[in-house]
Amino acid sequence: MKTVAEFAIGREQLLDASGAPTGPLPGFAEDPSELLAMYRMMVLCRLFDAKAVNLQRTGKLGTYAPCTGHEATHVGVAAAMRPEDVVVPVYREYGTLLWRGVTMTEILTYWAGDERGNDFAATREDFPWCVPIGSQSPHAAGIAMAFKVRGQPRCVVCYIGDGGTSQGAFHEAVNLAGAQRLPVVYVIVNNGWAISVPASAQTAAQTFAQKGLGNGVPGVQVDGNDVLGVRKVLADSLARARGGEGPTVVEALTYRLSDHTTADDASRYRPAAELEAAWRLEPLPRTRRFLEARGLWDEQREAQLRAECSARIEEAVRGYQGRPPLGTDAMFDHLHAHPPAALAAQKALARRFGGGESH
Amino acid sequence: MPRVTLVEGINLALARALADDPDVVVIGEDVGVNGGVFRATAGLQQRFGKARVQDTPLAEGLIAGMSLGMATQGLKVVAEIQFMGFLYPALDQIANHMARLRNRTRGRLTCPVVIRMPHGGGIHAPEHHSESLEVLLCHHAGLRVVCPSTPGAAYGLLLAAIREPDPVLFLEPTRLYRLARQDVLDDGRAWPLDRAQLLQQGDDVTLVSWGAMLHETRQAAERLAQEKIGCEVIDLASLSPIDFDTILESVAHTGRLVIVHEAARTAGLGAEIAATVAERALYDLLAPVQRVTGYDTVMPYFAMERAYIPSVARIVEAVRTCVKA
Amino acid sequence: MTRFNLPDLGEGLQEAEIVRWHVAVGDRVAVDQPMVAMETAKAVVEVPAPFAGVIAALHGKPGDTIATGAPLVDFQLEAANGTVADAGVAQGGVVGHMPETGEIITAGHTGARGTGHRARVLPAVRELARKLGIDVEELRGSGPGGVVTLDDLLAARTAAPLAAVAPLPVAAPSAMRPAIGLTETGELEMLRSLRRAMAQSMTLSRDSVMECTVFDDADIEGWLPGGDYTARLLRAISAGCRAEPGLNAWFDGENHGRRLFQPIHVGIAVDTPDGLLVPVIRDVAGRDAAQLRTEVNRLKAGARERSLPPADLRDFTIMLSNFGVMAGRYATPVVVPPAVAILGSGRITRDVVATGHGIEAHRRIPLSLTFDHRCVTGGEAVRFLAAVIADLQLPA
Repeated sequence: MKTVAEFAIGREQLLDASGAPTGPLPGFAEDPSELLAMYRMMVLCRLFDAKAVNLQRTGKLGTYAPCTGHEATHVGVAAAMRPEDVVVPVYREYGTLLWRGVTMTEILTYWAGDERGNDFAATREDFPWCVPIGSQSPHAAGIAMAFKVRGQPRCVVCYIGDGGTSQGAFHEAVNLAGAQRLPVVYVIVNNGWAISVPASAQTAAQTFAQKGLGNGVPGVQVDGNDVLGVRKVLADSLARARGGEGPTVVEALTYRLSDHTTADDASRYRPAAELEAAWRLEPLPRTRRFLEARGLWDEQREAQLRAECSARIEEAVRGYQGRPPLGTDAMFDHLHAHPPAALAAQKALARRFGGGESH
Repeated sequence: MPRVTLVEGINLALARALADDPDVVVIGEDVGVNGGVFRATAGLQQRFGKARVQDTPLAEGLIAGMSLGMATQGLKVVAEIQFMGFLYPALDQIANHMARLRNRTRGRLTCPVVIRMPHGGGIHAPEHHSESLEVLLCHHAGLRVVCPSTPGAAYGLLLAAIREPDPVLFLEPTRLYRLARQDVLDDGRAWPLDRAQLLQQGDDVTLVSWGAMLHETRQAAERLAQEKIGCEVIDLASLSPIDFDTILESVAHTGRLVIVHEAARTAGLGAEIAATVAERALYDLLAPVQRVTGYDTVMPYFAMERAYIPSVARIVEAVRTCVKA
Repeated sequence: MTRFNLPDLGEGLQEAEIVRWHVAVGDRVAVDQPMVAMETAKAVVEVPAPFAGVIAALHGKPGDTIATGAPLVDFQLEAANGTVADAGVAQGGVVGHMPETGEIITAGHTGARGTGHRARVLPAVRELARKLGIDVEELRGSGPGGVVTLDDLLAARTAAPLAAVAPLPVAAPSAMRPAIGLTETGELEMLRSLRRAMAQSMTLSRDSVMECTVFDDADIEGWLPGGDYTARLLRAISAGCRAEPGLNAWFDGENHGRRLFQPIHVGIAVDTPDGLLVPVIRDVAGRDAAQLRTEVNRLKAGARERSLPPADLRDFTIMLSNFGVMAGRYATPVVVPPAVAILGSGRITRDVVATGHGIEAHRRIPLSLTFDHRCVTGGEAVRFLAAVIADLQLPA
């Protein structure tokens, strides 16, 4: 039998677990402002995440999905994107959306069960968080199709988790993207767990990156805790897409250092030793060591950054808690461009009985 | 006799079914090691092993489709969809295959599958976790749809569903999962599958509801009793087929009907009940049939869910309207 | 059991040291009650209790360092009522929080039914019974399954005034025993169709309308040749209605209300071999003489052939009975409710009249106006009649 097709999956890593470069670094790594901007956003994410969990624990926020551990992936992806690109997230990628102009107040508002959190003021075409797993994948393909039809040099980045790649919708979308050479990059955030199901139980595939190969779409792995590596891989993939060469599936290897949500208790199903080992690989210290080795960072700047972040977070929380209360009209006012006449009576009924709550 | 919550009643029934019948298999996302995101399957994989209690990949269409395949080979599958809001990817398999298999093979192949899923809102969950979509399932011939409202009903109806040779959609009211406890005898006794429960008798109005709304409906009945308005309360329990005999017998006595459901009003199951009562009991009615339902809007994010879900006050007002007519 | 981990104490620091516990295991605490003093790099911070409940465990003693996010205190919560403050972690969920109460459900049903019986009645019939003041529970139903029907209701109806047509109380043949000793009575001819309808209609009129008739004459000696008699009568009625709209109306005796009508739809009594028919000319005021004649001819022909559609036979607002074709000068024509007036025209005669110039013979139309005095006053009636006469006395 002769071989008619062969495939390979490469893995990129620019900074190793200790923060040392593994080889020559790309151009953006020579620009301190780029490096510092990414690091600052990662720290903001970490502190914001802890604050959000705290708010939930003290009854001031509903169920929340923490992002601790994912900062390098989320920020590296965003830093490679252009403002005119569109991101289609799942529900954990705060670093990406914050980079692109979504506010912490908007994020908190969403998790408070308030739809106004989806009405992003700054980045009007980015998609809101998507709860039905995998169902965002065809959306991203459709947006990319629009760019192609209109001849616009814009790209889509679509997130999905390791668990999400088991959904049929993911494969349908990637298949179309491949067949039509759509300008979309599918970023699989492999954080090891889909609630309680480990990635090893999710699939027999050796990598998640190869899940595009069956649909004719190349795949590449990257150390998801290496912000430089993530940015480079995304930059390369976006360049391919923008150049008309079609989609890429990128697998970012990272770890979900927190529970699935604030209502989950991962200690029930996850070995403590595994979690401890994952903490040792986490993205913040290695990035900081890299910056310090370049003379770009120190303890004093770290303290100053954390103080600034805390102040910004407190301000965002104040904005969140001070937002105007919702009335029952909010249930009715954004459903239709032309509301059916019969709905007026229901709207009046709802007003009469009131209800609802605010955090 | 164990005193259990509704979700524990489900766990008891699953354990009993797994123990009594080696063909019973439980599958779903996070049902094995984790015991289910509501602990409905807690301890089962540890007790019965990985072949009988399986964690599936994250794919609802797959879960429904593979259940059908397993069932045609004689396994009695009890599958879980993690929330009713995630039913949609599975609808293709449920409607196009599970509902039709017996009919289109003239009985040669059958589908003894139970699909369990949490139903309704009121638990402060993010979007898509609070849906009430029973009407989509009730519309398909070939499916049974069941919704218990107490721990005892959950136990008895789930066992009945598992023993039923045709597909059963088992809707579990999330808001009632841990609300109250009941003494449930773990004797393996199944309840009849297509019977409504007359929970309370009275003279003035019949209240029909199911699932979590029974909670508000019974509270409304108590409040109305203080106003000397006597309510009959019917727990529909079986949403497809509907036990109309129980409803009609009650309406013949009271002459008034108020239907309460959390799902949206238009084309909700209340419309089916109202139409049938108009068809078969018009001469018994003293007043128009009332429906107290969710609004014709999307289920709002949880900041507004208490405004959406019919309140005791709304039910009471509907009854007063009925009685004054 | 709900676990509370050390939260971010607001300074972005990774850990803090326990200085002093303010609570002990087993204590019941309220939300925000001071729980523990923690020392950070900068200050001693008070951490309040985030929940109300009983302290189940303390994860450290004074001097211990606790990492941010590490377990600090375990709580046994009070029965929650769905507040988000209960983290839901102990419930083993993945979203949300399920409410928990101490309720124990006891099986079995409650309440009891009374023993009353209720008539089975169509809602519309029940409503009509209410209007008629009849207690529907007293009726025996003749419909399937003992349902009370409209006929059951109407059969039980007393002599209360009705806006609807009442059926003819049919006496059994044996009750029609003549008072005088006639030994041969012949076959009972059952009234059918138009005659039956007339009997019913007249019975209804007798039972409800308060009839009053006023008589007068119109002097038509001055008519120019070629005038259409019926058309002139119809035009005169229009003139009468303009002067007194109250005669172009329906009366609702039940509710003591009347409906005035803008258009004038005149029902014309037509004599046919089968009986009396009353076709209706619509919007008399809107038609000229030629149009009226055409329409009258159509209706009369159709009436004789019994080919008129129901729409041509209903809903008149005032009636005209030109009864005097062969004989009869004055009459007391019958008002057919819900209309309130009927104008009768008798046989045109050449009468001797006294004028300003002496004794003359003039052709005159005798007029008889019956009105329903429940709804129309004498003054309105005579003003109407005066206008009718004035119009009729015009030369053309």
